[in-house]
Amino acid sequence: MALLDSAFAFLYQLGDAFAFLVLAACGLAVVFGMMGVINLAHGEFIMCGAYVTVATTRAGLPLPLGILAGSLVAGAIGMVLERLVIRHLYGRPLDTIVATWGVSLAATQGTLILLGSSMPGVGTPLGSFTLGSYSYSTYRVVLMLAALGVLAGLYLAFNATRFGTLARATIQVPHMAEALGVDTRKVYALTFGIGAALAGLTGGLYAPTMTIVPTMGTTFIMEAFVTVVVGGADIFLGTAPAALVLGAVRAVLTSWQGQLFGQIGLLVAVILVIRVLPRGISGLILRERA
Amino acid sequence: MRRLLRRLEGPQTLGRGPAFWAAFAIVLALAIAYPSFADGYTVGNTAYFFCWVFMALGLCLIWGYGGALSFGQTAFFGLSGYAYGVLTLNVGAAYGFTIAAVVLAVALAAGFAALLGYFLFFGRIGGVFLGIITLSVTLALERFMAQTAGPDWRIGAARLNGYNGMSGMPPLTVPWFDGDIVLFPDVALYYGLLGLLVVTYLGLRILVNARFGNVLVAIRENPERAEMLGYDVRRYQLGAFVIGSALAGLSGTLYTAWGQYITPSSMGLTAAALPVIWVAVGGRSDVTATLVGTLAVLGGFQALTIYGSQYALVVMGLLLVVVVLAAPEGLVVALMRGIARLTRKAAAR
Amino acid sequence: MTAILETRGLDKHFGGLHVTNGVDFSVGDGEVHCLIGPNGAGKSTFFRLLIGEYTPEGGQVLYRGEDITALKPFERVRRGLSVKFQVPGIFPGLTVAHNLEIALQHHLEGASLSSEIRRLLDFLNLKEAAGERAGTLSHGQKQWLEIGMAISLKPRLLLLDEPTAGMSPAETFATGEMVQALNRDGVAILAIEHDMAFVRQIAQRVTVLHVGRIFAQGSTDEIVANEAVAAIYLGETEAPRRKQDA
Repeated sequence: MALLDSAFAFLYQLGDAFAFLVLAACGLAVVFGMMGVINLAHGEFIMCGAYVTVATTRAGLPLPLGILAGSLVAGAIGMVLERLVIRHLYGRPLDTIVATWGVSLAATQGTLILLGSSMPGVGTPLGSFTLGSYSYSTYRVVLMLAALGVLAGLYLAFNATRFGTLARATIQVPHMAEALGVDTRKVYALTFGIGAALAGLTGGLYAPTMTIVPTMGTTFIMEAFVTVVVGGADIFLGTAPAALVLGAVRAVLTSWQGQLFGQIGLLVAVILVIRVLPRGISGLILRERA
Repeated sequence: MRRLLRRLEGPQTLGRGPAFWAAFAIVLALAIAYPSFADGYTVGNTAYFFCWVFMALGLCLIWGYGGALSFGQTAFFGLSGYAYGVLTLNVGAAYGFTIAAVVLAVALAAGFAALLGYFLFFGRIGGVFLGIITLSVTLALERFMAQTAGPDWRIGAARLNGYNGMSGMPPLTVPWFDGDIVLFPDVALYYGLLGLLVVTYLGLRILVNARFGNVLVAIRENPERAEMLGYDVRRYQLGAFVIGSALAGLSGTLYTAWGQYITPSSMGLTAAALPVIWVAVGGRSDVTATLVGTLAVLGGFQALTIYGSQYALVVMGLLLVVVVLAAPEGLVVALMRGIARLTRKAAAR
Repeated sequence: MTAILETRGLDKHFGGLHVTNGVDFSVGDGEVHCLIGPNGAGKSTFFRLLIGEYTPEGGQVLYRGEDITALKPFERVRRGLSVKFQVPGIFPGLTVAHNLEIALQHHLEGASLSSEIRRLLDFLNLKEAAGERAGTLSHGQKQWLEIGMAISLKPRLLLLDEPTAGMSPAETFATGEMVQALNRDGVAILAIEHDMAFVRQIAQRVTVLHVGRIFAQGSTDEIVANEAVAAIYLGETEAPRRKQDA
C-alpha cells in the first residue's frame, strides 16, 4: 500500500510537471514552430492572462469565464503586437527575439507603474482530496486535464480545420501558399494571436495558484524555453514528448532534492540533451521517419 | 609589435586615420582631466558606468562580431561578482589580494563559459536557441542565488544571503610601498578603470582586426563557407564566447568592488536585457559604437531614473524595439557612417 | 593514374530511401572529372558525403589513400580538398578583397597577401569590384569570387557543385577557361554539372549517376554517344538551369 501511495504521489508530481511544461510552452511553441520566431514577451502574455483573469473573477465573473477573458485579451494584444512590431521583422528571427525582449521589459515595468507591485489574487478553488497518506490539490488535476485538452485542441485546430491546412501549407512552402492565394500575413497574424492567447490561457489557469505580480512571467519563461529547445519546431512530435521527458526529470529531481534542484536539473538535462540532439526531439523523430 | 599596432585599424572597426586618432586622443585627454573639474560623487558615478562597459564590449564581440546571440552574459557577471565576494570576505584585502581575487573570479567566469560554450557550440546550437539557453542559464542562477537565505548557505566566512545578496566585501586595494592604496569609488578607482578600459578597447580593436576577427566575422556572414575554408567554426565561436564572458565577469567583479555588494537580481531577466540594449542601441557590429552607445545609454538611463527606475526601464524597452525596427545597425554606427560620408564628400570637393 | 579521391561502397539513406547505393568512384590525380545525372540521381547527396556534411551509413571516402570518412569538413579542407557550393557561398557583408583575404590568411600575410589578392582579383575578372560588398555582386561574379576563395587554399582537389548555375553562356565559357587554367597548374577537379556544353569544354572523364548508382563512365564522347544514358535523361525535359537538385 505504501508503495502504491508513493507511486501515485510520483505520478501526480509527473502530471503536475508535465502540465506546467506543456502549458508554459505551448504558446511559445506554436509561434516558433509556425513562424520560426521566439517571442521573449511570452511571459508577459502569461502575466496579462493572469491579471485579466484575476480582475474579472474578483469583479464577479465565474473563474472559467475569467480565464477565457484572460486568454482573449492576451490574444488580442498579441495580434496588435504582431501588427505593430513582429510583422516588420519577418525574415529576421534574431532581431525579432531582441525586439520582443524590449516589449517584455516595457510591459513588465509598465504593469508595475499602472497596477502596482502586486495584486490580491483569487484562492485556489476545488479544495483537495486524499489518497492513502497524501493529500492532493484537485485544481492541479484540473490543470493536468487542461494541458491534455490544449494539446488535443491544437491537434484538431491544425489538422481538421481550414485554418490549420492553410497554416501548415504556409509553414512548409510560404511562397507556394501565397501563389495559391493564401494571405500568409493573415495566417502569421492569427498564429501569433493564437500563441498569445494560449499564453494568456496558461496565465489564467495558473492565476489561482500564484501570487499575482508583474514579474510572474519569469516563473514560466525558463521552463517554456527549455521545453521548446528540447522539443524542436513541432508541437506534437516535439513539445509534448519533451514536456513528458522533462516533466519526468523534474519530478524525479524535485522529489529527491526539492523544487529548486528540479528546476536547475531541468536546465542541465537540456544542455546535455542538445549536445546529442541539436535539432531537438522532433528533429530526431522526423529524421527517423524521413 | 608594429604588426599588432597596425591591427588597431582595419575592416572590422569604424574609425581610421589621423582624424580618428586625434579625436581619440582628445577624448582620452578630456577623460583624464575630467576628475579635476568634477566633484568626487560624479567621478565615482562615471567609474560606475565604466564598470559595465566591459560586459557590453564582450557582448559586442560575441554577438556583433561572432553573430552568436548570448543573452545570458549576466550569468558570468553575477558568478564572477559572487566569486569576488566569497574570496575577499574569506581572505581579506591585504597584500593586494583583491587584485588576485579579480583575476580568479574572472578565470572562474571564463572557465564556466568554456564549459557551457563547449556544450552549446560543439552541439552546434545556434540562432535563437543559443539566445534562449544562455538566458535560461542566467535565470536559473538567479533563482539559485535567491534561495540561499539562511545561515546554512555560506562559503567559509561569506554568507550568500539569498535575495538580499552579499555585501561588505572590501573594495579594490593596490599594495604600495608606504601602505595600500584603496580604490574607493572616486578618483582613484576612476583612473584605474579608465586605464583598464582603454587597454581593453584597444586590445579588442587589435583582436577583431587580426586573423581571429577575420574568421569571426566570416562565421557571422556564412558559417558553412567559413568551415569550407578550413576553419573549425566551433573553436572560434567558443573562443569569442569565452573572451566575451570573461569581460562580463570582469564587469561583475568591478561592480561588486565598486558598490561592495552583489545581489541575485543582477542575473535576472531585467538585468540581462540591459547589456543587449546598450549593445544594440550603440551598434553591435563595432567596438567603438558599443563603447560610446553603452556610456550614452547608461547616462540617459540614470537621468531617467529620477522619475523612478520603472519609467526608465519602460523607455529602455521601447528604445530597444524602436532601434531594432528603425536602425538595426545601431544609432552610433549610423551616426559614424554618416560623419564618414560627409567628410569624404567634403574631401572630394 | 593514381586516385586522389576515392569512394568505396558509399551508402546513404534517409529512412528507407537509398540516395546513394554502394557507390565505387574515383577521381584521378590531376584530372578534370564531371559527374552528371538526371534530377534526383543523388548527385548533391554524394557531394555532401564527399565534403563531410553528411556521414554515410556504409562505405568509405578516401583522400590520397587516407580514410577521411569520419573527418569533419574543415579537416578535409585542411588536407587539400576545396569546395565551391552550388548556391554561391560568400561573405555578403564583407568586401570582395576581404573575402579573399579570409581565404588566403591561412598561408600568407603582409605584402605577399596583398599581392596575391591582386593577382586573384585579376584572374577572377573582379578587379573593379575589389572594394564592393560581396553581396552586391552579380550572380556570376559571386560564383567567381567563391571559386577564387576555393582556390586560395591551394587545393590539390577542387570540388565544384554546379559551378555555372545561373551563368550566361559567356560567363560559363569564362568559368571553363578558369577551370582549365587551374588544371594546368596540377589541380584535380570534380564538377557536378547540368550544362553539357560546359562538360564538353572541360571534362576529361565523365561519370553518370542514376538512382544512387554509377550508371556509366567514360570520355565525354562515349557518354554522349551512349544510348542508355540518353534514355535515362528522357522523361525529363531539359532541366531548368537554376533548378535545385533534389
